[in-house]
Amino acid sequence: MNTLLLAQRALVQFPRNPVVLGFSVVPVLIMYLVFGGLFSGVSDLPGFPTDNYFEFLAPTALLLATVPGMGNAGVALAADLQSRYFQKLLTTPTTVGAVMLGRLLGDCLRLAVQAALVLLLAIALGAHVETGIPGAALMIVMGTLLGIVTFGAVSANLAVRTRDAAAVQAIQPMAFLLIFLTSAYQTADHIDSPVLRTIIDLNPAEYVLRPMRELMLSGYQWDHIAVGFLVIAGLALVALPLTARNYRSVYG
Amino acid sequence: MTTSSTTATSAFNELIGLADGPRVPDIGDAVVLDNLAKTYRDGTQAVRGISLRVASGESFGILGPNGAGKSTTIGMLGTLVKPTGGRAWVAGHDVVAEPIEVRRRIGFAMQDVGVDAFATASELMVLQGRLHGLRKSDAVRRAQLLLRVVGLDQVAGKRVSTLSGGTKRRVDLAASLMHLPPIVFLDEPTEGLDPRSRTAIWETLTELRHRLGVTLVLTTHDMDEAEALCDRIGIVDRGTLVVEGTPDSLKASDGQTLEAVYLHYTEREAA
Repeated sequence: MNTLLLAQRALVQFPRNPVVLGFSVVPVLIMYLVFGGLFSGVSDLPGFPTDNYFEFLAPTALLLATVPGMGNAGVALAADLQSRYFQKLLTTPTTVGAVMLGRLLGDCLRLAVQAALVLLLAIALGAHVETGIPGAALMIVMGTLLGIVTFGAVSANLAVRTRDAAAVQAIQPMAFLLIFLTSAYQTADHIDSPVLRTIIDLNPAEYVLRPMRELMLSGYQWDHIAVGFLVIAGLALVALPLTARNYRSVYG
Repeated sequence: MTTSSTTATSAFNELIGLADGPRVPDIGDAVVLDNLAKTYRDGTQAVRGISLRVASGESFGILGPNGAGKSTTIGMLGTLVKPTGGRAWVAGHDVVAEPIEVRRRIGFAMQDVGVDAFATASELMVLQGRLHGLRKSDAVRRAQLLLRVVGLDQVAGKRVSTLSGGTKRRVDLAASLMHLPPIVFLDEPTEGLDPRSRTAIWETLTELRHRLGVTLVLTTHDMDEAEALCDRIGIVDRGTLVVEGTPDSLKASDGQTLEAVYLHYTEREAA
């Protein structure tokens, strides 16, 4: 219950902080438009899965909205720790976990809306979601969950350890690296560098992006979707004990 | 009687109705410290084994210079700082083993006022109440009443970040009382406030004690505050309790004024 109340608090905050709200979605939309236009010729390559590059790029843009956007949760947590409002919340019968989870949940809902905006822009640019609204919803769920277990967890833990919003903000570019080192802009088959292909194969984000793209372009590949959720679950198994360990540092 | 004090009194009366009747102080201890100690990870021994008891309904002041261990002590009682030695019980609950049970029974107004920059005073208080399990309608009503009690009903809809330091303190105090706790911890509640804000907080705290039988534990290095609010005082220095007693007994034993007593004990410890 307290987690939901704290998530609600986060949701109330967003429209009151239009700078954060704007800067977490507008650059993604601009990047989508710019990269989609610049690389549109890629879709002419033989064997490319679609002739509309915006369609190919839509899941990437969705991840660009959800994964780095989750960093705002960490920044907000750090700001609460700096202002000592975090500690004030802990004078009530609530836990560090509920405060952190409430923040992440609030940001999840915000990012889900932002991800939906990205998909709407894609559709406006002629893209088509092969699996329709259910598939689009599944893409948003996968993208948002990946955001929580990767950058959400990292930024929340960093917030608790450093209590410094600037430090959390500084790691934001790492989230872009996580996405760029996937088949974000090109199918893996069309990437010549074996080193880059190995890096892509080792990047957990690739195993979430791939089924998302299939939902966009071809249909439900349930085995790939299952692998995507397993990867998310695996990352959560790493993030949860780490987060639990860092909880303790909140109490002097 | 002024209009504002009449308003505050009627708000208090309604609050008492919401608190399941006035709380009569129980016979027994609201707060017990048994050799409580805290050493931080960097090796700083902030508290070196403090033992004391605060009776239910009593107002106890922890006096001491900066760095004496006052805030760490009250932080441990409020479950925000983990002790590294000894034990403490608040309302009969162990602060380490049962922190949630402790928090249900305490209000905590911290030295560094922690507020949500984007919330209004009313929203801040309602959330505080709801986290204590109040229904939304009850929380909204209590927030209105408490803001009237502290004379701040006119700031209910204002963002807390836009309020002055003194007003933030009073809002924070009011937020700490949303669940009408039987025990309230106050860490230097009036430090840095102008005389008007300070008096307003003192009046609220005095009223709380007399009308609701609330137990107060506060830290301060303000002698006037200690005399105005506290039944008993403990002077701490370098993490240890060096003397405790009523203001009158301390003055009778060691000097003419509380300040003389304070200087005597803290200087002796520093020597």
